[in-house]
Amino acid sequence: MSTPVIQIKQLVRTFNTTDAVNGLDLTVQPGRCYGLFGRNGAGKTTTIKCLLDLLKPTGGKVELFGMNPAKHEVATRSRLAYVPDQLGFYPWMSALDHFQHLASFRKLWNLQLQTDLLDQFHLDPNQNINSMSKGQKMQVALIGALCPEPELLILDEPTSGLDPLIRREFIRTVIGAYQDADPENRTVFVSTHLITEFEGLIDEFTIMDQGRGLVTMQTDEARAQYKRVVAVFRETQEAPDLPGIMDCQIEGREMELWVEGGETHIRNWAEQLGCESLETHAMTLEEIFLTIVKQKEKQHAATAH
Amino acid sequence: MFIEIHFQSGKPTYLQIVDQVKTAVASGRLREGDALLGIRPLAERLRINRNTVAKAYTELERQGVVATQAGKGCFIAESASPFNNEVRERMLLEAIDAAIVEAHHLQVTDEAFLDAVQKRLQLYAKKKQETNATDDVESREAKR
Repeated sequence: MSTPVIQIKQLVRTFNTTDAVNGLDLTVQPGRCYGLFGRNGAGKTTTIKCLLDLLKPTGGKVELFGMNPAKHEVATRSRLAYVPDQLGFYPWMSALDHFQHLASFRKLWNLQLQTDLLDQFHLDPNQNINSMSKGQKMQVALIGALCPEPELLILDEPTSGLDPLIRREFIRTVIGAYQDADPENRTVFVSTHLITEFEGLIDEFTIMDQGRGLVTMQTDEARAQYKRVVAVFRETQEAPDLPGIMDCQIEGREMELWVEGGETHIRNWAEQLGCESLETHAMTLEEIFLTIVKQKEKQHAATAH
Repeated sequence: MFIEIHFQSGKPTYLQIVDQVKTAVASGRLREGDALLGIRPLAERLRINRNTVAKAYTELERQGVVATQAGKGCFIAESASPFNNEVRERMLLEAIDAAIVEAHHLQVTDEAFLDAVQKRLQLYAKKKQETNATDDVESREAKR
């Protein structure tokens, strides 16, 4: 059993009276592409900052490569690269200056990759970074993260605010230039609310809401479990009291059910009632996310009364 | 190589790739010796995890649809003939299922449905006969 690249146990991080993170567990094995999904304010960035020792956990523990990042700063940081959501560069630096600056902190720097990616993104290495567009700055940040050939790539909201072409290019580069170069030893950890973008890349994910982990699952398993069942009856029916129903919308004789794992029982129920038509659809990762978060909100609202 | 991934089909991504390659072979779009796109370029093109593509290619090789040549890549194997019964049968059943669903929506009875199928088969048989007859006449004319 290999050492997890990331291990988070019952993480808590409080700011004054707010629990930004309130009991998060997750484990990332080497070679995986792991997604941390959640709305704005769910606690994703705070979680990442605790991983990187930019914030100290209030409770619980985090480990990178089996080590405490606070106690083993260099040992952990040297094996990873981080692309934050708020990019910052020294205002007088060109892309080349920036890379030389970063390379000075690293044991290894793949100069060929730097050249190839600058070419691929059509960036002028001598251009001042602050005069570049947002998308170009992100590309500079990505090159800076990939050239040290890290074992772990941490991305925090990487494609937020970027145009569709740049977003696609970004993901292609993570898959090709990063992941493919050493698939078993390269791990990607991406936190985002733009789930559709990363749907193809992610093989496992945790959905986070209000500081807590709601669901952790393999992507293929999620797509097999979560379904949308649409039934048309001869006359209006009430929603059944069956396990697995997350949400139900009724419009006249049509009923739409969002289910987790209870598909067969629901189909049987509908057929027994003599439904006129019955269709099952799988959901995209984003739809699964929305359904889970919506259900949590409803439960929350119910207990509040 | 045109492959399309549908994330809301409920089918694992690697299996979608496997099935689409097999269908392409069965329909003749891919032939023995044709090269498949490399793992990295296909993963980049589809914007999916490269391990998913690797898994699909491993499965295709296991099923004898493709063969890997060290250093050169993946190629459609000799044994993967266009006349792959399993795939052809499945494609046919999918088409039949679609027709049955349509008939049901249109409230056509099973008997009327089968009757319609018979009539169409007869129509095509007749057309084929007429085409053959014309071909015979034309070839006889050509020989004169």
